[in-house]
Amino acid sequence: MNRFLTRENLLKWAPLLVLIALIAFFSIINPNFLSVRNFARLFTNASPALMVAIGVTFIILMGSIDLSMEGAVSALAVIFCYVLLWLGGTVAGLGVLAIPAILLLGALVGAVNGLIHVHLRIPSFMSSLAMGFVGTGAAILMTGGNIVKINDEIFRALLTERVFGFPLMVYVALFFLIVGSVILSHTRIGRNFYAVGGGEDLAHASGVNVKRVRVWAFALAGFYFSVAALLQVAKLGQAESVTGSNLMFISITSVVVGGVALWGGIGGVWNALVGVLIVAVINNGMIVIGIPDFIQDGVLGIMVIIAVILSTDRRTVAFVK
Amino acid sequence: MSTFIKDYIERETISRRNFLLATAAGLTSAAIPGAFGGGAAMADAGGWALAWSYRDRASAYWNAIVSGGEAYTESLGLKKDAMTNLINEGSSEKSLADIKAFLAKNNGKAAIACDANDSPNARPVAEAVKKAGGYISTIWNKTDDLHPWDIGDNYVAHISWSGEKPSEEAANILIKAMGGEGAIVHLGGIPANIPAIERLNGLKNAIKKNPKVQLLDSQPADWDTTKAAALMSNYLTKYGNKIKGVHCANDNMAYGVLQALKAEGINLPVTAFDGNPEAVDMVMKGELLATVFTNPHWGGGIALGLAHQAALGKFKPSEEPKAHREFYGPSILVTKADADAFKKKYLDSTPKYDWSDRWGLSAGQIEYK
Repeated sequence: MNRFLTRENLLKWAPLLVLIALIAFFSIINPNFLSVRNFARLFTNASPALMVAIGVTFIILMGSIDLSMEGAVSALAVIFCYVLLWLGGTVAGLGVLAIPAILLLGALVGAVNGLIHVHLRIPSFMSSLAMGFVGTGAAILMTGGNIVKINDEIFRALLTERVFGFPLMVYVALFFLIVGSVILSHTRIGRNFYAVGGGEDLAHASGVNVKRVRVWAFALAGFYFSVAALLQVAKLGQAESVTGSNLMFISITSVVVGGVALWGGIGGVWNALVGVLIVAVINNGMIVIGIPDFIQDGVLGIMVIIAVILSTDRRTVAFVK
Repeated sequence: MSTFIKDYIERETISRRNFLLATAAGLTSAAIPGAFGGGAAMADAGGWALAWSYRDRASAYWNAIVSGGEAYTESLGLKKDAMTNLINEGSSEKSLADIKAFLAKNNGKAAIACDANDSPNARPVAEAVKKAGGYISTIWNKTDDLHPWDIGDNYVAHISWSGEKPSEEAANILIKAMGGEGAIVHLGGIPANIPAIERLNGLKNAIKKNPKVQLLDSQPADWDTTKAAALMSNYLTKYGNKIKGVHCANDNMAYGVLQALKAEGINLPVTAFDGNPEAVDMVMKGELLATVFTNPHWGGGIALGLAHQAALGKFKPSEEPKAHREFYGPSILVTKADADAFKKKYLDSTPKYDWSDRWGLSAGQIEYK
């Protein structure tokens, strides 16, 4: 028994325990919370944020940060809608090409982001934030402040068609979650993310091309941002210059709450999943049990701090900055 | 600077601008300033620089406001870019700094229309304009204790849009569609925003008059589509099929609500507010029950027009009644019955307004509670 109840194990599973405790708490107060329909709603709303959180996990694992998600998702969503409309407006025809096009573009944008960070030697915090602004600006420029609507029922089936009670987009998110997990645990590039995050000098001395690893990570993050953009369009049937708004707060919070260490080297995409679910459950649960709206933000903030206290091993960190 | 030098520079600037305009148009003579405009209007706005100070271009609403300002500018025989865009990006500090810089650049000879971004910022903005000798009209944001007549002629007018009455009218249509009974959920804007408060009050007024209708819940979704979709699905978990109608404080949130309902295959009557083109299309298709149009094009044009016409001395603000200094802009309820005609009149082609009819569309003096 003691073998399982080590401090290390507890810390590793703490975010999941927090999530289970939250679900139990809200379910006791309002039984409606624990229903397939509610979980379908929760997962549907959380899917785009989950994709962004996974994308940024790759970066945070290296001890860097990517803050370009809001602008990137807005711009990619808008471009996707325009390309889809230009190719006939339905994924039943040529329009289906818009999907690989936007995934590729997302990876390219991410790679550019990474190249700027690595080769111009700008801290990732600053370079990615700046790229995010470029993305928002591009989205405003393209739309002129208007909304681009997608009425293709086949593409929207991602939201409207259900399997086992969950919309198709939830399965798409699940698929990319597993892909992310495989990348981290079964590929060299994935292991290199940990190596760079655990100790960049050591990784470099061991022959890892740190610069290339970094650019790959940003490209991968960009790819996941484009998946988020697709899911966001599937969910809302439209894109505009604010489609990516609020994704920065929720994704970074989720990743940290889920137990990915901001100083790098610790965590993975499953932590991101648990983190996104914790934040989504708190948000959903507060409304379901009827907490007054003016204290919801405050409660969310306090719960985030508690979750971080429970789920990160701050004893191993010499100092916090 | 002596008035002589000031006048000299002004004259030079004006004639240089005319020269540039003329060259651009391929004319050989710079002596015909009226050549580009319609008749009597001077091609230089009478020596006054024009500007609109507002939040950003990321929404249909502000774009419509700007289009009104540009339409006014063009009515003077100028190109629309003769009006300067001062974009504050949601920062009150930038709003004030931009306006001060614009005043300084034009030696105070500026006619400005402005949404001060938040209420307390309206006073420093108005005072800066007065000090420099410019003229300003404001819309939306202003504290209740600030009045144009207290500042003087330089603070020409303030325009706002009452959310309460039109919101109540939209709620009445919603209640009618629900058969006069059942429960409503409301999705609100950012809680401290005046329009968010007024639009919720409108709904509450309607519910008071209909005892068989109750308000289940009202929570903010911050005017945002994504947040509204999440909030609506959370409402569905909490209240299930008790919900018989949805009242939204703006169009963008209604789009999110409709998608959350679509995901579940649920059909509910939904009302919105703002009268954006997409929302009007949805009203025509029957997806939305109603929306409220506030004619931002006219608001944007007349706000600039009032400041400029006062600057030109075409009317003296202090001689006007208070109802001409602080007034509500128009609100039009758009329902399926009139959406088609509405779209033709206001959206397919922008109506041409006579900007010298300064208060023609006013909906009365602003009331404080």
